[in-house]
Amino acid sequence: MTAAQAGTNQQVLAGAGPAGPPGQGGPAGAAARTSRLGSSSLAFRILRQRETGIVLVGLLMFVVFSVLSNGTFDSVENWGGITSTAAELGIVTIGVALLMICGEFDLSVGANFSFAALVMATMIQDHYPPGAALVVALAIGAGIGLLNGLVTVTLDIPSFITTLGAFFLWTGVTLIVTGGETVTILPPTPALLNVLGGMLGSQIRSELLWWLGLAVVVGVVLQRTVTGNWFFAVGGKRLAAVEAGVPVTRTRVLAFVICGLFAAFAGAVQLGHLDSMSASFGTTYQLEAIAASVVGGCALMGGRGSMLGAVVGTLILAMLDSGLILSGVSPYWYEAVVGVILVAAVAMHTRVGQLVSGAGA
Amino acid sequence: MSAAAGPTPGTAGAPAGAAPWFEARGVSKHFGGVVALDGIDLAFYPGQIVGLIGDNGSGKSTFVKIASGVYQPSRGSFAVGGKEVRFRNAADARQAGIETVHQDLGLVDSMSIVRNFFLGAEVRRGPFLDLRRMRRETNRMLEEIGLGNLRDLGQDVSRLSGGERQAISIGRAVAFEKKMLILDEPTSALSIAETEKVFEFMRRARQRGLAVVCVMHNLAQVRDVADRFVVFWHGKKVVDVTNEGQSEQELAGYIIKGKLSELGIDQSSLDTGALRVLAQE
Ligand SMILES: Nc1ncnc2c1ncn2[C@@H]1O[C@H](COP(=O)(O)OP(=O)(O)OP(=O)(O)O)[C@@H](O)[C@H]1O
Ligand SMILES: [Mg+2]
Repeated sequence: MTAAQAGTNQQVLAGAGPAGPPGQGGPAGAAARTSRLGSSSLAFRILRQRETGIVLVGLLMFVVFSVLSNGTFDSVENWGGITSTAAELGIVTIGVALLMICGEFDLSVGANFSFAALVMATMIQDHYPPGAALVVALAIGAGIGLLNGLVTVTLDIPSFITTLGAFFLWTGVTLIVTGGETVTILPPTPALLNVLGGMLGSQIRSELLWWLGLAVVVGVVLQRTVTGNWFFAVGGKRLAAVEAGVPVTRTRVLAFVICGLFAAFAGAVQLGHLDSMSASFGTTYQLEAIAASVVGGCALMGGRGSMLGAVVGTLILAMLDSGLILSGVSPYWYEAVVGVILVAAVAMHTRVGQLVSGAGA
Repeated sequence: MSAAAGPTPGTAGAPAGAAPWFEARGVSKHFGGVVALDGIDLAFYPGQIVGLIGDNGSGKSTFVKIASGVYQPSRGSFAVGGKEVRFRNAADARQAGIETVHQDLGLVDSMSIVRNFFLGAEVRRGPFLDLRRMRRETNRMLEEIGLGNLRDLGQDVSRLSGGERQAISIGRAVAFEKKMLILDEPTSALSIAETEKVFEFMRRARQRGLAVVCVMHNLAQVRDVADRFVVFWHGKKVVDVTNEGQSEQELAGYIIKGKLSELGIDQSSLDTGALRVLAQE
């Protein structure tokens, strides 16, 4: 593949010149050069970003909750809490959003999260080196993702079904293995768990940094690398990707593996935060992660989405959770409001998408 | 082309003394019970434009997809430069030097013009995409192809008109072309002036010694541009002749020739007048 690309590229870069038709594209080309300048202005580029709308919604939500809660919502303490709850869901959402961009779903991330973290917790409890336990947890996550991917591509069935099956399978396996017990790691807590989810200073947990750091890394991969380009192409129109010579099957399976890996890592981070793990943690993550991705602008059928959107989508859900309580609204409203926001966000993305398609090259 | 030899059976339509660059040998394709292609023998020569014609569903696009590595043949093989090759995917075919404009255009609507242009052939700089260089090259190619009036190369392909999309798909194939250019109904959404431009690209590719294959329904146009006609009928190659200025009616006669042989009618027993009548049915 690499050699093929290199060859083809040289052809276009070196060969196009002499092949050019004399005299063609003259006047049209001149006009194009001038008109293209205007459209690259900063304001235009910001406005046409798919995420601009949802960022504004997030900011509005922040202001409204701050006012309604009489200043408790926007306190540093509360944001320490919001961001550390958001971080675990946020890390799961990074993988889920990437997979959705590639045109697939993973409904097994919650089960994956609990299973991987429970195995890790049990290993640490049994005095295995914490580093080894983390590696095993990540291998489990990647393995579950790999299985999801291989089953989906070889049996050629929708990943919605494959991963719904995987959700039941791994939830069942987790319950069989643990008997539903909570595994707690007794002090002294291994340093690794503090690195994953411990306090940094007085307000912030390290998981916040993991979340944002990973979102930046994955965002760069998506926007600036060949593999990222292929995720968008495969999710946008699989046949076109096949026709262009993109290794579509490999790309799809890779997306599943990455999604599984992030789910397991989120489980490890949660273990680092709580020092305990139970099969009941993470059971709602698949739906919340899809909701957060969609609120953040991921297209349900693939091909569109971003890490900025995935982060903001997660933050909006987390702000709702905290903001409703601090504004004196019953927390039971959370689910209901999430539902409304989800539909409203998709309606907004659709309208904005019709007005301005595209986000830079 | 005047250099082309007469329609000798077997090597029909081959330029005198030329060796084929690309050969299909007994290529068949089945989709479940449907036989889309049935034992196609077909050779393409450097410096020759072949017009591939035939009724809807006669297997033209299926052949194009197999030749470009998108489908695998059920039976038969391919040779490039006399050596047998197997394309596992479109990347293999592109590496061998075959660029294709597919009937569906092969564009990802949700991606920008630049990213579509370089899809599967991305330019890297270290581990990253060299977007600046890709944008510059796309810009240059589009101006060359006469599409320089597209204001914004960062916009999604979904924003473009049918003709603009087709032009981008063609521009992409022309930009990367090396040995063979296959176009599957490339001009269906283009204006007369733009169609003429595409023909100009095909002629220039011929001049540079490329093998050019073009699927077309418009017989008047195919007459203008092709050096040789190949006609498919129900997955079989039924005609393979040099362009000797045949009339549209004669070409239409070729297209229904398969129908005639199926009815047990010997085509040579019919004169052009009879073919003309049949063609009008
Ligand atoms: N993926 C597929 N699955 C099943 N059948 C197919 C598939 N692709 C093509 N066919 C069948 O193979 C036959 C040939 O189709 P093909 O698209 O090659 O025709 P065509 O000559 O390109 O027609 P048109 O002029 O309409 O583009 C048709 O009967 C079609 O239904
Ligand atoms: Mg076709």
